[in-house]
Amino acid sequence: MDLTPSVLNLDWTEVEKRIEHFIKDYVEKSGARGIVLGLSGGVDSCTVAALSAKAVGGSKVLGLQLPEKEVFAAVDAKHSSLIAKKFKFKTIRIDITPTLQAFYSSIPIFDKSEKLCKGNLKARTRMVYIYYYANNRNMLVCGSSDKSETMMGYFTKWGDVAADISPIMDLYKTQVRMLAQHLKIPKEIARKPSTPALWPNQLAEKELGIKYEQLDLILYGLEHFMKTDEIAKQLKISKKRVDDVKRRWHSTEHKRQMLLTAKLGYRTVGKDFRLPFTAV
Amino acid sequence: MEKEFKVALAQIECKRGDKNSNIDKIEEKVTEAKKRGAKLVIFPEMSLTGYVVRDEIYELAENIPGPSTKTLERIAQRTKTHVVFGMPELSGKTRATVFNSSVLVGPKGFIGKYRKMYLPTHSVFEEKRYFRPGYQSAVLDTELGKIGLIICYDIFFPEVSRLTRLEGAQLIVCISASPAVRRTFFETLTTARAIENTAFVAYVNLVGFEDGLQFWGGSRLIGPSGKILAKARYDEEDMVLGTVDYDEIRPVETFVPTLRDLRPELFDKLRETSEKL
Repeated sequence: MDLTPSVLNLDWTEVEKRIEHFIKDYVEKSGARGIVLGLSGGVDSCTVAALSAKAVGGSKVLGLQLPEKEVFAAVDAKHSSLIAKKFKFKTIRIDITPTLQAFYSSIPIFDKSEKLCKGNLKARTRMVYIYYYANNRNMLVCGSSDKSETMMGYFTKWGDVAADISPIMDLYKTQVRMLAQHLKIPKEIARKPSTPALWPNQLAEKELGIKYEQLDLILYGLEHFMKTDEIAKQLKISKKRVDDVKRRWHSTEHKRQMLLTAKLGYRTVGKDFRLPFTAV
Repeated sequence: MEKEFKVALAQIECKRGDKNSNIDKIEEKVTEAKKRGAKLVIFPEMSLTGYVVRDEIYELAENIPGPSTKTLERIAQRTKTHVVFGMPELSGKTRATVFNSSVLVGPKGFIGKYRKMYLPTHSVFEEKRYFRPGYQSAVLDTELGKIGLIICYDIFFPEVSRLTRLEGAQLIVCISASPAVRRTFFETLTTARAIENTAFVAYVNLVGFEDGLQFWGGSRLIGPSGKILAKARYDEEDMVLGTVDYDEIRPVETFVPTLRDLRPELFDKLRETSEKL
């Protein structure tokens, strides 16, 4: 297999059709009234919002903008509004700063220097707001996680990844950017550097230590059972770099699977209770 | 025996676990197909129950013949058609041994069944976890000639189709539950099986989503030269009719005489070699 950027190129008309069909089918079968999603203004959430609006109609989609003062970026707010207008869905903006402040002051061991703990608290707080709206309005939560960050475990457990369906989770970040362009999402959004917005100046590629163009090809190779030395040779990079990606992928599996428990019973939740995802 | 007749390829979306609802849909489609002149109506793999039913299979599986096949027999008798459909079959000798089966009923009742031999257990498929494989090919004598039954992944193994052809089948019916990412495989292999066996191949696939798997439809009737005689839409419920005319086989069989040129001694070699893989 030749690991060139072209392997990531798909028939985007077909991909769009399949994802929209998937969303529509799931919403209809679940009996939900529509979709609610966290709208950060980044390429992932804007793409999922656009697909959702095209799938079920903008009137059934609600984008929640959940800014907070520490990481507020006017450009993200502008991009969220732009997408909402273009794909004709509603948004609600709620400043979550007071809620976060309440958490900070009420957690006895809160330490503002612990960046990760604080950042995860933000992601989980956003999740709480999104699910409140979902419950209140009988809507489904549509997640925006992509395959690159999901495989890398680059997300907050029970935070940004929490959703009822996750329509772009089988597309790498570079593929999401291509799909966004196919959907005519403005280039400044499609090409905007990704950030989880957990602390100021946070950039995904900087934290992951690798460009998505390279990461996605490594992950694509691993997905296709290629050996790390072969991937490294083809991409003309060190084997260590590929091994590091593979190690991170494997070490974060606990974030992607059902909770582990000690096997005691005849059939066990998450292991050998093997039921269809949706009720039969 | 009829030498020329219409076949209806009824690609449906199933309501998982709801046999009554699926039987209602099957009856509706058979009635419609009959009005359009079909003598044989084919439904997808596991069309009685839906494909992704996992542990529910033990609740849903039935003996063949059994209650659901009896209902389908009545539908076939009432409409004077032949019907092929798929279902989980509970062994008559055990309590929880299940086969992935294809059933043929006709105007005179139950005709026969086939138990899938090749059970995919890779990627998203987990059939060996639930099903026991079949061990026999199925070539069933009908008023529409000898019909060979195969199921989905069997088509990746040319010997299954070949066996039905060598046993006299001129029409090979392949029922399927193939997800969209595998479309090109099936589009290629269905044509290949028709050409290499100089036989008609009727392929009928599911449509709809089941746990994130989208079945792509694209059912087709292929003639012995590889020509697509009827083709259903992708991804949506559809029913198309095509004509099987067994007289078309003769000129193809003389032009591409694959059966005349068959080399039985290679099968022994194949067996020896594959055992040592």
